Amino acid sequence: MPTCPRQLLIASALGLALASSVMASTIPTGEPATVQESLAKYWDESLSGGPPRDGIPSIDNARFEDAGQADGWLEDGSRIIGIYRNGQARAYPQSLLVWHEIVNDTIAGDAIAITYCPLTGTALGFERGEDELGVSGRLVNSNLIMYNRASDSYWPQILAAAIQGPQKGQGLVEVRVVWTDWASWKSRHPETEVLSRRTGYARNYRRDPYGGYNPRSGYYAGGGTLFPVFAQSDRFPGKHEILGFRTSDEAVAIEPEALARAGHLRHEGKSADFLILHDPGLDTGWVFRAEPGNLPHGNALEEVVFAADGPSGDALAELEPINAFEAMWFAWHAFYPDTVVIDSP
Amino acid sequence: MSEARAARPWLALLAGAGYGLFYLYAIGDVTLYGPPHWGAYLTEVSLERIFTARSTLMFEAIAVIELGWVVWLFSPLNLFLALILAGLLAANMHGVLYIRAHPKQCQVGGNKAFIGALPALFAGGACCAPSLILLLGIPGLGAFGALFGWLLPISIVVLGINRIWQHGHGAPSMLEYARQRFGLNNPSTA
Repeated sequence: MPTCPRQLLIASALGLALASSVMASTIPTGEPATVQESLAKYWDESLSGGPPRDGIPSIDNARFEDAGQADGWLEDGSRIIGIYRNGQARAYPQSLLVWHEIVNDTIAGDAIAITYCPLTGTALGFERGEDELGVSGRLVNSNLIMYNRASDSYWPQILAAAIQGPQKGQGLVEVRVVWTDWASWKSRHPETEVLSRRTGYARNYRRDPYGGYNPRSGYYAGGGTLFPVFAQSDRFPGKHEILGFRTSDEAVAIEPEALARAGHLRHEGKSADFLILHDPGLDTGWVFRAEPGNLPHGNALEEVVFAADGPSGDALAELEPINAFEAMWFAWHAFYPDTVVIDSP
Repeated sequence: MSEARAARPWLALLAGAGYGLFYLYAIGDVTLYGPPHWGAYLTEVSLERIFTARSTLMFEAIAVIELGWVVWLFSPLNLFLALILAGLLAANMHGVLYIRAHPKQCQVGGNKAFIGALPALFAGGACCAPSLILLLGIPGLGAFGALFGWLLPISIVVLGINRIWQHGHGAPSMLEYARQRFGLNNPSTA
């Protein structure tokens, strides 16, 4: 124990250095998107899903193979989670993520966590800095609650905000990932790398414990939820897939077939206007924000092209991209009961 | 009806082996999946991995063994638990069959012997409840998922108590029975 001022000074400096190194290694955060219940409620009503913390092991030393090798075991209709960043494309097959839920990866020099919750059908990417995310074993609204290893805070994946721990109230920094099928992804990104089945864990990656996506069956095809949810809605079937995005003051759900029919949709939000573009190649949507009244006209959108990094064109140059992701309707509504729904042009 | 036929020790062993396999299937270590593949590979083999829990009393596998349509994720601890359950179930089944064949000697009616074994059999099957819930999609029941892990030790205790009850009513252990039936020497007195 320090007994003189000099020792006290050195100890304080060491303490500060240690604290700053811990702070520096925690996961990057920002302002969270809209949170429509108290943080305490999310934590108090979270439940154990059965496995203990890390009982569903994240992949922390991912190996990859090329598209040709992956063609040997992936079918064209197999679901994948894709990411394109700094010129590098990677695909994470749902058949592997259903057993691991999180991959702590580094893509073109950026430390990114790819996360997937099978019970809510949601795939999101997050910046992770020098930190790692793990599976806590707890669920809220059937959604995966992650924890970060540096600060031991708890983050429901859809909410992307800490509900417990030292970083409570902070939001994760989201990175766009694409939920699509293998044929569409490799067509857009022929040079893509694919997460290898050599994960270091013994799992039967040919079997999905919940059912299947190609075609949809079991849990994914319909029926009830396995865990209680905060709010229920019969506007769509519970397992119906919607495209959702949220800002600091609202959440919006888009019906994908309506988007595909229209090609693009507009939404006048509370504090901004939004353009939602359908990407026919990947069968997903991309969302852009503009100051009220500043969305481009329909004719200008005809020049938009869909390239490796998503839609581009002069009409989009002044717009801010907003993260969007697919989710099962019951889960989206449980987190965002006040959600706006767009199901027609 | 001969005693050997009535007690049917092979039937008890078969039931035990079947239950052990069913247990491994229910926890997902053994799966049936096509198209058939043949092969085996080790993942990380370490004590830490062997003792890592995937869930309550369910442990990590260290190898994947593909035997045609059967995929076996080999976990030494899960196999050990399956053998305990299989042995207890075989002993219980043998006890039921023995009591049924010797109602006077055991002072228990044949039907009572079956009824007495039911709690044990139900408890033995309870470890598979999580799989059934997923299969049946019963809404909201997943909330009890964390409790299901404790059904396995309860199963083992109930199966053990039931076997002691059977022994108290005259049903010999399978080893004693084998010695009596086949005239084997008791190693301690040989």
